[in-house]
Amino acid sequence: MSILKKIIRWARIKSPWIIHFNTGACNACDIEIVAALTPRYDLERFGVIIKGTPRHADVLVCSGPVTLQTQDRLLRIYEQMPEPKFVVAVGTCACSGGVFQGCYSVRAGIDSILPVSVFIPGCPASPKAIIDGVVKLLDSLEDKPKKEMAPVLPKKELAQGNAT
Amino acid sequence: MTEEQIKQQIEHQFGYLKDAVVIKRARRLWLDVPMDKFEEVFVYLTEAMPLVRLLTITGMDEGTTFGIIYHLAAESGIILNLRIHIPRENPAIQSMTSKFSCADIYEREIKDLLGIQVLGLPEGRRYPLTDNWPDGEYPLRKDWKGLSTEKKGGTLNAQ
Repeated sequence: MSILKKIIRWARIKSPWIIHFNTGACNACDIEIVAALTPRYDLERFGVIIKGTPRHADVLVCSGPVTLQTQDRLLRIYEQMPEPKFVVAVGTCACSGGVFQGCYSVRAGIDSILPVSVFIPGCPASPKAIIDGVVKLLDSLEDKPKKEMAPVLPKKELAQGNAT
Repeated sequence: MTEEQIKQQIEHQFGYLKDAVVIKRARRLWLDVPMDKFEEVFVYLTEAMPLVRLLTITGMDEGTTFGIIYHLAAESGIILNLRIHIPRENPAIQSMTSKFSCADIYEREIKDLLGIQVLGLPEGRRYPLTDNWPDGEYPLRKDWKGLSTEKKGGTLNAQ
């Protein structure tokens, strides 16, 4: 890898700029995203800055299920972002459609339209979960061996097949 | 005007509405009206009686018929639910926007979601479904099965 590419990647990881787009959320996840960015949880310590235009952003943060009215707008915003770009789905609705699955005006989760890098479940996703998701995304961009995911149950129980 | 007085006045005015007014509980009245008599009753209730507000209009799929409920309220807090049943074949109601301009948005909703034609509704944008919603799909009808992915529209499907 050339030194220039290394510098660009370093800058990208140290300062990911985000654009926040509500694809039909109830506003709860939007409030949590704002709470994660503001001084109490302070996502800005990772260099995350919210931008007003997709042309300046690296990460598209989506909240809510994709409604039929927003699906084309979402694609347009995604297409305006410069490469490389990443999508973060915040909240259960954005991950899968949530309780709005099968609703006449809703398509499905964000992944029905865009490739999604990080799913952050929760109704609404807490700021801590959002920070965790963002840190995982930034970790995955770094050129180092991936950490093993912590198992939900103790390994012994998983081996015995006691997982319920 | 009490509930009992409203009931008596309606029955006095319209002979065919004898025992049609039901006082369910305090301040809540129900009135079933035949479809062809609806307009004269509606005009009388809103102009000659103190039921001067239209709260909302409810549309229901009842299987063989559609039910439309006009929720009328008096200043004193009494609510009269005026209900009509219309046949499922070529369903249509008369627009009440000339009396209540607020009826516009309720009637558009009934038209979009239940597929009931509203005669005399002013020109305007559809509400509340999306702009590219396919024709002939009425999501609040009981026999509606949902949209296929192709019919959901969007740039992805066009590609």
